[in-house]
Amino acid sequence: MVGRPDPRSPVDTVYLDNAATTPVDEAVLAAVAPFLAGEFGNPSSRHPLGVRAAEALDRARAAVARAVGARPQNVTFTSGGTEANNLAVLGAARARRREGANVVIGPTEHPSVRASAAALEREGFEVRTAPLDRGGGLDLEGWAALVDGSTVVAAQMLVNNEFGALYPVPEVARLVRRAAPEAHLHVDAVQGLGKVPLDLEELGADSIALSAHKVHAPKGTGAIVAREGVRIEPLIHGGGQQGGLRPGTENVAGAVGFGEAARLAAGTLETTACATAAARAVLEEGVARIEGARVLEPAPQRVAAICAVLLPGAPAEVWLHHLEARGVMVSAGSACQARSREISPALLALGLNAERAKRVLRFSFSRHTRVEEVEHAVHALLALAPELEALS
Amino acid sequence: MTSPPALGAPDVVLVRYGEIALKKGNRSVFERALVKNLRAAVEPLSPVEIVRTHGRITIVPERRGAAVARRAADVFGVVTVSPAWGVPNDPQAIVEAASALLTDALEEHAAPVTLAVRVKRANKAFPMTSIEMERYVADAILPGPERVTVQLRDPELTLGIEIRETRSYVFVRRLEGPGGLPVGTLGRALCLLSGGIDSPVSAWMAMKRGCRVGYLSFHSAPYIGEGFVKKVSDLVRALCRWQSKAPLFVAPFAEIQRAIRDSAPEAYRTVLYRRAMQRIATRLSEREGYRALVTGECLGQVASQTLENMICIGAATPMHVLRPLLAYDKVEVIEVARRIGTFELSNVPEPDCCTVFQPSRPVLKGRLERCLEAESRMDVEGLVERAVEDTQVRILEYEGR
Repeated sequence: MVGRPDPRSPVDTVYLDNAATTPVDEAVLAAVAPFLAGEFGNPSSRHPLGVRAAEALDRARAAVARAVGARPQNVTFTSGGTEANNLAVLGAARARRREGANVVIGPTEHPSVRASAAALEREGFEVRTAPLDRGGGLDLEGWAALVDGSTVVAAQMLVNNEFGALYPVPEVARLVRRAAPEAHLHVDAVQGLGKVPLDLEELGADSIALSAHKVHAPKGTGAIVAREGVRIEPLIHGGGQQGGLRPGTENVAGAVGFGEAARLAAGTLETTACATAAARAVLEEGVARIEGARVLEPAPQRVAAICAVLLPGAPAEVWLHHLEARGVMVSAGSACQARSREISPALLALGLNAERAKRVLRFSFSRHTRVEEVEHAVHALLALAPELEALS
Repeated sequence: MTSPPALGAPDVVLVRYGEIALKKGNRSVFERALVKNLRAAVEPLSPVEIVRTHGRITIVPERRGAAVARRAADVFGVVTVSPAWGVPNDPQAIVEAASALLTDALEEHAAPVTLAVRVKRANKAFPMTSIEMERYVADAILPGPERVTVQLRDPELTLGIEIRETRSYVFVRRLEGPGGLPVGTLGRALCLLSGGIDSPVSAWMAMKRGCRVGYLSFHSAPYIGEGFVKKVSDLVRALCRWQSKAPLFVAPFAEIQRAIRDSAPEAYRTVLYRRAMQRIATRLSEREGYRALVTGECLGQVASQTLENMICIGAATPMHVLRPLLAYDKVEVIEVARRIGTFELSNVPEPDCCTVFQPSRPVLKGRLERCLEAESRMDVEGLVERAVEDTQVRILEYEGR
């Protein structure tokens, strides 16, 4: 599936799982194509093929930097959001091994942050998880209470991947600076890129993690964008590429695709906001007609692009497969952990019990999502409701 | 810098300019150029509206006010920039915003801070005078003498309030601009860019004094690689921080160097290379409309820069040559290069055309008649013409934040 579907075509397959991944944009595909064909140079080579690859890599780096208000030298390409989160959390903590003893993470972090923190726990760090308040928003006082002079890393995501909460990261930055001026503040902004304006400095972060395939580029590329002078120990060692922070011959095609996708994402924030708000409104209206169903409204601020819907009766998995039979693709919980049987800690943190958390379906939209597609999904939900709400 | 949580991102960016306000006759020309340059600099960040009022410029960005303010502080002609927050023309609303800004600013200071409140009142219908308003705001927002004391002369923090026709603006930060004159107001100049430390600094200085700069580099393929073109391109992109966009001309130079190698005394090669460069630059300037050349030449810095050699080199062009670094010491040049972000790029090891057939003992006191004599054995005209014809151009843009 490539690019925008023809608006005149009848709806047969409806993809509403854009928080899991997105279709590759046509412009991105066109930008990447030469680097999978004739332009195969190694950016470290000194001949023209290599120099052209290095230039393409520089352009891509600059485009990603511009999308988040940073400078090209702040951007290090990685294999994706997971690696970027690992590099920041593990790398910043290990660089401060002798300076402190604890790591504080947000209440609803992505598994790649939680698992990195768990790895640090095995290395002797204490891991503290910040609480949510009763409305599902960040409990800033609770956050502040966990940070102290021996905090080496603090990590708070910007947009939650399971229910779209938009967290007040600048305020977290402020309280972390106050209590632990030397700590590294990392922000998982994977779900923020393309949905909200991003600016490294306005966020107040030392580093942010990004992923290309969430913004209509191919999978396998991400980036860590870090302020000048921050200390991060590399996870892998090699030939000194990317300032030694992430050595290895660069994925030129992936970076070029990410550069183009980041440019488009930053330039279409309003289109995205309009398209996803319209989609969300249609979904909310439909869900309101199903008894016992509701769209979760965690936190005072949310992005429209990610909606978690609590459905009655059958577990989300059953709803998901019934919807897929009608051509509608969504996910239960979040795709990153959909295959594990573990119940999402983020949903539990919202105050849902285990039984309810299993009945949460995620609908996620992009700038290409059309209202007719969401209407099709709503019809499917309404048609399935009489049968599935009785199951449990 | 984060934004005060109570206020969010700044609504407007106030831009103050200095020297151009003095240039009476040309003032509006200078101001229009400044507005145009500001627009080119900040529009990649956010759509903006720019208005000239009260001897200053106000930028109203749709979003990313803090980033727009930082970028505006890169534009020549700008003296200071303040991100500011707009509130209704109501004393209480002004006090609330001022109080939030002060609380935020105090976080950066541990010890007691000295503060002045300065009010500019363009709206004479506002119920208080500037001085009354200054007292009113100060009384309302001061947290106590152990934290803040009022000091009107040389305060550490100045809280500014501008009361205009429809809204008031409150600000506390002042970002330093680069000063100078708006790029383009003094005409166009072509900078000979070698890839070293000096020439980018000379280009920056020419821009600072109002020149719009284009760049010319000499590429000695196949003796040196494409990495050289990448290096000079990177330098030009970095310099575009002050001029948003610039052309880089790359002239082929190997044929000329071979001719000089074959017809001239070895010691004279470097001087003759430079004479050829001046000729190509002159021919290109005629075609492209540049009125002066800019070089990084510095008296006595290297062998080719003795007074005698500079006379030999200068004699090759009838054009006016700007040499902004003439009297600079190397450490001074390096200091500027670091500040403007070209030092690291210049330090990337990459051979340039001067390393090709480099003489082991270059002449120190070159004589013009020896130069002319050597050149009489070459088809200088033809060589220069071919080089200009085969010159390639790329338009480069700033890619920073």
